[in-house]
Amino acid sequence: MAVKELAPTGLIGARVRRVEDPRLLTGRGRYVDDIRLPGMLEAAILRSPHPHARIVRIDIARALDLPGVYDVITGADLAGVVQPQPVIWRVMADQHFSNHLALAVDRVRYVGQHVAAVAAVDRHTAEDALDLIEVEYDPLPAVVDLESAMAPGAQKLYDDWPDNITGRVSYATGDVDAAFTAAEVVVKERFHHGRQAGVPLETRGCVAIWDSFAQTLELWLSTQSPHLARDLMGEVLGLPVHKIHVHVPDVGGGFGTKFDFYAEEVIASILSRRTGRPVKLIEDRLESFLASAQSREQVIDVELAATREGVITGLKGTVYGILGGQLSTVGVGPSWLATTMLTGPYKIPNVAVTCVGVMTNKAPAGSFRGWGQPEATLAIECMIELLAKKVGVDRNEVRRRNFVGPDEFPYETKVLFTYDSGRYADCLQLCLDGIEERGWWKQQATARAAGKSLGIGFGFHIEATAFGPSRILNLVGLTHSGFDEGVVRIDSTGRVTVFTGQTAMGQGIQTALTQVAAQSLGVPLDYVTVLVGDASTYTGYGTGASRAAAVAGVVVMKACAKLKEQVFRIAAQILEADPQDLTIEAGQISVKGSATRFITIADVGDAAYRRMQGRLPDDMGPTLEERVVFDPENLAWSYGCTAVLVEVDRETGVVRLLDYLCAHDCGTLINPMIVEGQIHGGAAQGLGGALYEELVYDDKGQPLTTTFMDYLMPTASDLPTLNVLHMETPSPHIPGGMKGMGEGGTIGAPAAVVNAINDALSDIGVTVTRTPVTPPRLLELIKRAQAADSEGRKAKGVAK
Amino acid sequence: MKAAAFDYTAPTTVQEAIHSLNSAGDAAKLLAGGQSLLPMLAMRLARPSLLVDLNRIKGLSEIHRKDGHLLIGAMTRHRDLETNQTIRQVVPILAHMAGHIGHVAIRNRGTVGGSIAHADPAAELPLAMTVLDARFTVQGPKGTRTLAPDQLFVGALTTSLAPDEVLTAIRVPIPSSSTHSSFLKLARRHGDFGIVAVLVVVELDKEGRYEDVRVGLGGANPVPVRARAVESMLVGEKPSETVVAAAAKAAVKEIEPSSDVHATAAYRREMVEVLVRRTLLAASELH
Repeated sequence: MAVKELAPTGLIGARVRRVEDPRLLTGRGRYVDDIRLPGMLEAAILRSPHPHARIVRIDIARALDLPGVYDVITGADLAGVVQPQPVIWRVMADQHFSNHLALAVDRVRYVGQHVAAVAAVDRHTAEDALDLIEVEYDPLPAVVDLESAMAPGAQKLYDDWPDNITGRVSYATGDVDAAFTAAEVVVKERFHHGRQAGVPLETRGCVAIWDSFAQTLELWLSTQSPHLARDLMGEVLGLPVHKIHVHVPDVGGGFGTKFDFYAEEVIASILSRRTGRPVKLIEDRLESFLASAQSREQVIDVELAATREGVITGLKGTVYGILGGQLSTVGVGPSWLATTMLTGPYKIPNVAVTCVGVMTNKAPAGSFRGWGQPEATLAIECMIELLAKKVGVDRNEVRRRNFVGPDEFPYETKVLFTYDSGRYADCLQLCLDGIEERGWWKQQATARAAGKSLGIGFGFHIEATAFGPSRILNLVGLTHSGFDEGVVRIDSTGRVTVFTGQTAMGQGIQTALTQVAAQSLGVPLDYVTVLVGDASTYTGYGTGASRAAAVAGVVVMKACAKLKEQVFRIAAQILEADPQDLTIEAGQISVKGSATRFITIADVGDAAYRRMQGRLPDDMGPTLEERVVFDPENLAWSYGCTAVLVEVDRETGVVRLLDYLCAHDCGTLINPMIVEGQIHGGAAQGLGGALYEELVYDDKGQPLTTTFMDYLMPTASDLPTLNVLHMETPSPHIPGGMKGMGEGGTIGAPAAVVNAINDALSDIGVTVTRTPVTPPRLLELIKRAQAADSEGRKAKGVAK
Repeated sequence: MKAAAFDYTAPTTVQEAIHSLNSAGDAAKLLAGGQSLLPMLAMRLARPSLLVDLNRIKGLSEIHRKDGHLLIGAMTRHRDLETNQTIRQVVPILAHMAGHIGHVAIRNRGTVGGSIAHADPAAELPLAMTVLDARFTVQGPKGTRTLAPDQLFVGALTTSLAPDEVLTAIRVPIPSSSTHSSFLKLARRHGDFGIVAVLVVVELDKEGRYEDVRVGLGGANPVPVRARAVESMLVGEKPSETVVAAAAKAAVKEIEPSSDVHATAAYRREMVEVLVRRTLLAASELH
């Protein structure tokens, strides 16, 4: 494994405190709802109360008459004015698309779908006006789960589709049928990951300012992907993108929810164009639960063929993505990624997998941290432990027997991807050593002797990061790119400004890029400012898919290296030395071996911008700036091993998380503390999905979880201490060796929890296959297992 | 999530508050700590024409001990109930249960009277007051009346308070120092309302038999209830695992739980049995 170019060490790799935090923690952040412009109107949206209905009639007259109301629009006002909401992930041949507009025209397909919008002097008045809009609906039957959506003769969501399936795509390698025919052991199971969402603390929002003279649109958006938003807004409005400017203020959490492009942005823009005033549209919490991207709901059928020693010879899998009433920006993307990553970190020679996208009358399925990977990991990692049980081999030995070996990289998975580097068995061992040190096995034995049910479970995950190689992504079916552009400028005082297309949303990217710039240039940290959130430098895929540190880190590193050459040329002129003989440290440039011949980077800045005569080399022009574009040649593959220790109460079905450990490798570490913070937050969402969080709909399609009293996100009180152990295996495909890691904590957690519960209940043989594992669900499984157990004992004539 | 328009008044005496309520017919709402009312206003589930804010009335948030009773002002914050030294000494279970309400930020604002008047059957204080046999002082245009728990709580989120009445104080009899209590709440997360909750208060006679047993069930019926049949079953019995298990089984007969997104009625029934058994074992010091 050849690593091209390693990041310089020093500040890169240091536990630098986050530069973002003081202002955010003291309430000095400025979010989209803090933006107030002269003459600004506030908008509100009337949403469908029906999961499925035809719109017979809409009467807006009374709403328009309400004092303070400036405009009311419905789907009819958008027809012919805007294009359908775009879908950028198109991975299925002959896929059917929902082609819906930002407001419903004649039919609604989920509770919360946008039906009409009001712009008024303030939000209170806008909401008063919503009460005055009369909509007559003709309700239709709703389909709410996989079975009812796929049933023969099921109610169709789209009359011109043959059924409720948006499309299918399959990948196959080797001879799967032969592998299963020859298999000594076959294990088969169906997994069901519950519907979950990112639920950022700051809900989505935008301010749209249409300038009718310049014919330009200015947008303030709480988004992770300003460039994507600009491109897609251009498509929807038929505007060239130089007429659209997107600003991003502080973002109070993104989690993928704010990656997608939504109807609200379009509605606010149209309202601004019609009224001639800035229009603010802020989603409230209720709306966030109704209509922001929901995710994770998948049914995964998976089957393993293996030898008696637990060596996997084949995998068959079908991922059913249970989508909503419309396709979101990312379409079937997350279900497709779950499908293509079903083989996990394992060498499986014969593979056949299929992804099926199924529409239901629920909110659209879109992006959320993990993006299909937690679901795939739940399936494959639970299968590994089931296989281990079946063949009677230690579960981690089964993992070892199937891991891609450290000398087998780059490794082409049998489904689409090439893993770049990894030491999977070492990572597993790091995790096992960690839990040994924390005394889990002893604790489990002691508790079991006292009649308690403690379980230990593992989830070994791999994570697709550094999205991504543009041409390959295009080939797969993404209508967007994955490169990253950045500019680094040294000013007349020798201070450094980094312009990045990445968005800061709490993850610490400004600190990470500050470290890369300071280290690469040889200046103190406080010489560097990182500007984010403006569409003036472009990034191909927004800030998501665990890409910011890996791709923007490379951009900054390369730009700084080029700048450093220029700095040395100017310094050489001033110091009358050879550039080769110069070094820079803490902003001071000196001639190697001389204690007296030095200048500061401020002198260099001055020479480049102000007093040039005799100081700036004749063949150099003014200013010091470098622009770099980086389009990675491959994804970078992080990985980790999550272990959890749980206690199950067999009488109530309650699962308590006692301890958590993640051994993790994301290549070159820029800031271990930030990596840990990302894993902590990701783990909270992964553990939440495993035990607490579920967006529940009743059998008629009404959402039942629309407040934080019903949708249960774990709080600090519900989580154990989160422990992280690091190892570093650089990516050979990313200069600097960095890999992304924004989703790792989320990906491995559900599998680890489910395996731990199964372990805690191994004496009665419980197999959990559905998340979240709520107390009533688990109690049901326990009772069934106990009944089967006692039947079995009776049959064998064994006394209890 | 913006409240519909309403008028607002902040009286400084109970009499003025009653007058404001009275003149608004049944279209007024009292604002105490706002922990339940404000979300309902924001979601427009409640649309009062007038809010009568009780926070400026003096003397409604005091805690006294008098004649074997605790007198608790209705505007006492949960956090004060939880940390009050007198309560911790003489009715520690009440302070303990107050500590189970939501999170500290919620307890700093939420009031004892607000929680009781909101009458959530799964909430801590309605259950505590039912089991401790508290009395509620209610003032209205016609004067003051005193209600027992089963007179006040008439249904889920429903009390017998008239639209122009104000709950001003709660009187809690101080149990004998030889009683033992146990409270268990089965909640999905720390700070949530219980799926079910059980509070038992037990006193044993000199022979170690149950002399006084009170078993309260929360979240299992439209109002918090005493499992009277279970209580009388236990009186005179010597505590044992068998006796307790039988009592727990019997408790299930006294409930009519409903289903919601967190649990079915059937699950609640099973959990009442488990929690009654565990609380009785704990209070009887069998575990």
